[in-house]
Amino acid sequence: MEEHEHRFSLMIILSIILAFILTFVSMALYNSSGAAQLDLSRPGYKDVRSQVVNDDNFQDYSSSGSINQAAINEFVSMYHQQAVKTESVDAFGGDPLSTDALGLVPTSN
Amino acid sequence: MRITNKLLIFGFVTVALISGLAFLPVFAQNTAMTDQQVQLIRDNCVSTKNTLNQLHSSDALLRVNRGQIYESMSTKLMEKFNSRVSSNGLSNSNLVLVANNYSTALDTFRADYIIYEKQLTLSMNIDCSKQPIVFYDAVALARNERSQVHADVLKLNQLIDQYQASVSQFGQDYQTAMQGVKQ
Repeated sequence: MEEHEHRFSLMIILSIILAFILTFVSMALYNSSGAAQLDLSRPGYKDVRSQVVNDDNFQDYSSSGSINQAAINEFVSMYHQQAVKTESVDAFGGDPLSTDALGLVPTSN
Repeated sequence: MRITNKLLIFGFVTVALISGLAFLPVFAQNTAMTDQQVQLIRDNCVSTKNTLNQLHSSDALLRVNRGQIYESMSTKLMEKFNSRVSSNGLSNSNLVLVANNYSTALDTFRADYIIYEKQLTLSMNIDCSKQPIVFYDAVALARNERSQVHADVLKLNQLIDQYQASVSQFGQDYQTAMQGVKQ
């Protein structure tokens, strides 16, 4: 009887260990794959969640068809339009983490 | 198979240790600071943490929005045009080269953002009122990682321009070739 209880306890321990291992592996994959950084459903992103811009407006160039001057000009025009939009934002520019910006050093005045 | 009480206790202790280890943070201290600076960090701790939280959210949004656009530049324009040129039996080696460089730069941008985000999260999790120097060092590292992400963005923009120049060159070559055929 006591032997059966011990086996049951052992099964519970092994199940918990297995659950930990699987959770650890899945969390490691979630973090290392970059999914965590794109997951705005995480707590703390509530305010910015609604500001995600859908890129449905981004025009797709057709990969089939003949190449002629008109097709090249069409692509150049589409590409230029998107390139200007893309480069218009200085993403991750500035220095919001500078010691001055964060108030981590005494002000000079 | 005999299972003793000692073995069971050992099992429970092991499980408890494994679960505890998962939450142990690792930090390093190496910056020499004046007492005034340390006190300033403590005094501004709450406002600094708020700023970091806001930056964390806004950068995540920026990463998602910019990431989509950078991805689309590659998948919806560069790859499509290269494919069309190739299927028409025309030489597109220069276009492919720039597009491949762009893809590599995009991978680097993704990887560097992950490193930056992890470092920023680490900084946010440090109690700056209790560990001001560790906090300062962690923020300094996050600052470096962020500037690396910015460098990646500049590189991507540069490659976008380079691809545009390659397409223009391709257009000129095509025009020259067509004029040659007509003559």
